[in-house]
Amino acid sequence: MNLLLLYLLLLKATATSFSGLTSLPVVRHDLIETRHMLTDRQLNAAVAAGRTAPGPNGLYIVSVGYFIAGIPGAIAGCFAVMTPAFLIIPILHYLGRRADRPAVKSAIQAVMLAAAGLVISATVPLAKDALTGTLAIAIALGSFLFLVLTRKDTLWVIVGSAIAGLAGKLL
Amino acid sequence: MSRVSLKSLTWIFLRVGNLTFGGGDPTMAALQSELVGSRRWLSPEQYALIYALARITPGTNVAAFSAAAAWRILGWVAAVLAVLAMTVPSSIFVILLTRGYQVSSSNTLASAAIGGMLAATIGMMATGAWQLLEPRMREGDRLRAGVLFAASLIASLRFSMSPILVLGLAALVGLIWRGPAEK
Repeated sequence: MNLLLLYLLLLKATATSFSGLTSLPVVRHDLIETRHMLTDRQLNAAVAAGRTAPGPNGLYIVSVGYFIAGIPGAIAGCFAVMTPAFLIIPILHYLGRRADRPAVKSAIQAVMLAAAGLVISATVPLAKDALTGTLAIAIALGSFLFLVLTRKDTLWVIVGSAIAGLAGKLL
Repeated sequence: MSRVSLKSLTWIFLRVGNLTFGGGDPTMAALQSELVGSRRWLSPEQYALIYALARITPGTNVAAFSAAAAWRILGWVAAVLAVLAMTVPSSIFVILLTRGYQVSSSNTLASAAIGGMLAATIGMMATGAWQLLEPRMREGDRLRAGVLFAASLIASLRFSMSPILVLGLAALVGLIWRGPAEK
């Protein structure tokens, strides 16, 4: 398998999608249907690995690369995930200079408020999945209050919640 | 505000990016809490602009978010390091999981700890939303804050409107409907 071609195929998927798993149809079409380099079963395992691992779900592309060409394929996948990220910098550079104009400022504020709504909207399906009992609800509430009231590192929340989850299982 | 160095900034992306489960949204919420909330290296306005642009940049949102946030704080080198820190360790994890992910999901102790962390991400995301709303509420922009927040929540949750469309419409509304300080 030509690694450059694999990188370009995976880049095509990541660069034409707007969030983690929306690249899935392109990957399926190119790698499973057209080129028969991957099976549906492997793709499912890749998505599961991407969701289980910390970090972005879009990293399932790394697993896809690994199935096709081992470690070098995984590296090609990792590059395909990283490359489009840098497009944002010239856009930010351009808009950042104009951010002090009242109209731009007002539009940014409106975007902030809408983003708050989007964050809560993204939280709802996750909460249905994660808040499985009293302990989980207590952890979620506790970490919210801790972060809002103390403004301390999220590291404490991560470590504390893992310990609380373990304690709930063992006690 | 604590002093920012390349090392301390990269460490945050490394830590948050590889210890936050559940995908991009919880990761961005955790980064917001670190960079805007506790350290104040980004203002809420800068965060909002970067968050919105990350949504419209092709590819993984949180990778674009990290590139932009690190670039805004310390420049290009920081941006490259942030993206590497965000993706490389998690990618290794993905490879290991690909090799034997059935094993880790059947381990009850590991899944109990992961369950606890998943519950905490819900709290983190609620904190993220609160930190976006709170400055507007404080500056007497309550009506606009309430309407835009509720409208985007309903559009996204009830009508599955794409985030890009929601943010674009909100920007248009913001151009016309100004807050008290911007009139």
